[in-house]
Amino acid sequence: MVLPDLRILSQLTATLSILLAASVVFAEQKPAHNVAAVCARCHSSQALTQPLTSMGRALQPPGVDPVLSSHPRLTFQKFAYTYVVETLNGQSTYSVTDGTQTITLPIRWTFGNSARTWVFERDGVYYESLVSYYPSLGGLGITIGDFGITPRTLDEAVGRRLPPSEPVACFGCHSTGAVIDGQLLSFDSLEPGVTCEHCHTGAISHMVSAVQGADTETAPPDLRKLTSEDVSDFCGQCHRTWETVIRGPWRGELNVRFQPYRLANSKCFSGTDPRISCIACHDPHKNLDTDAAAYDAKCLACHTLQGAVPAANRKATAKACPVQETNCVSCHMPEVKLANGQATFRDHLIRIAKPGMPYPD
Amino acid sequence: MKQPWHLTKSRTLASAYFLLLVLFIPFGNLAAQDGSSSFDEIEAEATAARDVEDIPRAIELYTEALQLNPKWQDGWWSLGLAQYGSGAYASATDAFSHLLALNPTAAPAVALRGLCEFEMGDFPTSLADIQKGIASGAAGDARQEQILRYHRAMLLTRLGRFPEALQAYSPFAEHNLSSPELLVGIGLAGLRIPLLPKDARADQQALLTAVGDATFKFMQGDQTAAKQAFSDLFQNFPAAQNTHFLYGNLLLAFGPDAAVPQFKKELEIAPDNMSVLSMLAWSLLMQHQPDEALPYAKRLAKAEPERAASQLILGRSLLDTGSAASGIEYLQRALKLDPRNLEVHIALAKAYSKSGRNDDARRERTLCLQMTQNGATGLAHP
Repeated sequence: MVLPDLRILSQLTATLSILLAASVVFAEQKPAHNVAAVCARCHSSQALTQPLTSMGRALQPPGVDPVLSSHPRLTFQKFAYTYVVETLNGQSTYSVTDGTQTITLPIRWTFGNSARTWVFERDGVYYESLVSYYPSLGGLGITIGDFGITPRTLDEAVGRRLPPSEPVACFGCHSTGAVIDGQLLSFDSLEPGVTCEHCHTGAISHMVSAVQGADTETAPPDLRKLTSEDVSDFCGQCHRTWETVIRGPWRGELNVRFQPYRLANSKCFSGTDPRISCIACHDPHKNLDTDAAAYDAKCLACHTLQGAVPAANRKATAKACPVQETNCVSCHMPEVKLANGQATFRDHLIRIAKPGMPYPD
Repeated sequence: MKQPWHLTKSRTLASAYFLLLVLFIPFGNLAAQDGSSSFDEIEAEATAARDVEDIPRAIELYTEALQLNPKWQDGWWSLGLAQYGSGAYASATDAFSHLLALNPTAAPAVALRGLCEFEMGDFPTSLADIQKGIASGAAGDARQEQILRYHRAMLLTRLGRFPEALQAYSPFAEHNLSSPELLVGIGLAGLRIPLLPKDARADQQALLTAVGDATFKFMQGDQTAAKQAFSDLFQNFPAAQNTHFLYGNLLLAFGPDAAVPQFKKELEIAPDNMSVLSMLAWSLLMQHQPDEALPYAKRLAKAEPERAASQLILGRSLLDTGSAASGIEYLQRALKLDPRNLEVHIALAKAYSKSGRNDDARRERTLCLQMTQNGATGLAHP
C-alpha cells in the first residue's frame, strides 16, 4: 500500500480548514470574524497570541464583563452626583443620580482591557462615560481626559457627548470592521478588538488566495519593511502620530499616552534607524513586557557599555550611560502618573530625566 | 423642530428690543447724577414714555437728560435701546459708544452696537463687536445667545469666512433650532456665497434650502438622514457648484476616506477649482495615497506658484512618494512664502526625519511645539 505523502496531506488539511473557515466568514458576512483562527494556520506564532493581548481585547464584546461580575456594585461620588455601576442577573448598568433624578443606562460597549470606559448611545448620540473602572483602584474614577469637565446637569454628568466623528474613531481603533465608507458605524460587521485585518489590510483576500496558491501575490504589505518614521505613523493611526498630536489640543502630561509622539520628540529618534521604531521594542502580537530589564538589549543596540570596545561590525556607537547598565527605561523613560492618580504610562520621550524636572512637552 | 426666533426681520428686531429691555441688566447709576429736580423729572418722564412705548418721546427726553448729565450710564443704555428699537442705528451706535467710553466692560452694549453696525452694513466692525460681546458674556441668556450667534454666523458668511460660519451655525443644529431663513444662511455658508440670507436671489432659494437642510441634518449627527439629504441634493441640482465640496469638507471630520470621493465629484463639476484640488490632494495624502495625490499636487503647484499651500502639498506629495530631496525643495519654497505655516514645519520635520537629517528634524519639531504651545488646551480625549 502506498502511503500518502504526509506533507501533501498536511497541506490538504490546512487548505480544507481554510476553505471551511472562509466559507463561514463569507456566509456570515463578517469579514473579520474568525479570521485570526484561519490566519493561525500559517502564522500561528502571531495569530494565536495576538487575540490575548490588550490590543486584541481593546473592546469587550457585549455581554457580562468578568471584571464587573467580580465587582457587582461599584459606586463613586463626584461633584453633586453619585455613580453606580451594578451587575445583576447578567446585566450591567451605569447609573447617575443627583439625589432627585436618576439616569440608568445598560452597559453594552466596554472600551479597554485594563481600565474600562463605557460608550453609550442615547437618542442617536454617543456619550463616553464620565467615570471609568480602574484596576489600580478596584473601583471607579474620572475618565482619563475628562478631568477638566464639571457637569452642570444630570445629563452632562452621564458623560461627554461625542461629536459624530468620535464614535467612528473610538470603534475604528478598538475594534475591526466597524466602520463603513470611512464614516458609518456598522455593528453587524464589527469584531471586538484589534484583529489581523485591522493592521494587515487585505488579510482576508490573501487568506482566500493562499488556498489557490497565489499567496505571495496577495500578501498584505510587509510592515517590517517600513522605516521608523513610517512605523510611527502606522501605529500612530490609533496611538496618535506626532503630527496628529502637534495639530491637536493635547499638551501636558496627558500626551504621555501618545507614544509615537513622545518617541519622535526624543533626541535619539531617527526616522531612518530601525533600532528606534515601535516594533524594534514591541511585538504587537504579544502582550506588553512590563519588565524594565527586558528592554536593556534594545537600548544597547545603539548605546555602548562603559569601557567596552565596540566590535568592528557593531553599530552601537551612542555613548554609554555613566550610571548603570541595566533597567535603562526606569530612568530614561520614567513612568508618569496621570492627574487622577489611577493610570500610569511609561514616557516614550527618551531623555536624561532628573527628579523635579517639569514634564517636557 | 423648535420654532425659531428670527422668522422675519421685524420680528427679530421687536423680539430683540423686548428682550433687551426686559433681560439686560441696567448698568446702575454708577455716574454721579446732578440730583437736580429738572434731571430727575426728565428721567422720570423718559422712563414713563418708554414704558408706554412712546419711543420718539422717550428718545427726546433721554437725549435731554443726557445733556444735563452726560455720565449717566443708564441713560445712554436706554437711549441706545430706544434708538435701536426704532431703527435709528447710527444714533444707537453713538449712544452705545458713549456708554462704552464710560464703562468699557458693558458687554451688552458692545453686542448691541454690533447689531446696529450689522444693520448699517458695517460688517467687519459688527463682527468684531458681536464676537467681543459674546466673549464678554453678553450672550448669557439663551435667546440673546441665539440672536448674537445667528448674526455672527451670517456675518462670517458675508465676510467669506465660510468654514467658521458653518461652525457658528452648528450649535443651532445641536439644539434643533431651525427656520427657513436659517437654512438659507447655512446654505450660503455651505456653497461659499458671501451674502446675507435676505440678499439671496429668489431663484437660489430652493438650492440653498436643500443645502442648508442636508448640512443641518449632518450637524445634528444624523448621518443616515444627512446622507439621504445630500443624495437628494445631488440628484436635484447635479450641476450646482460646491455641493460635493461642502459634503466632502463635512465628511473630513470622519477622516479622508469619506471625503475623497466627494472632492473628486466636485472636480468633475468644476475642474479648475483650486480649493477643491487642494483639498483633494491633501486628503489623499492624509489617506496615505501619495501616488494618487501627486498629479493633482503638480497641477496645483504649477497653477499657483506663489501660494504656500500649493507648494506645501506638492512637497509633501513628493516626500510621501519617496522623493524626499525634491520634496524638501518644494517645502522650503513654501516656507519662504509663509514662514509661520505650521503644516510646512510639520512636513519639513517629517522630511528631514525620513532623510536621516536628525538635527534638522528635531529643530523643526521643536519649532512646531513652540508654535502650538499657546493654542493648545489641557483637555485630552481618547
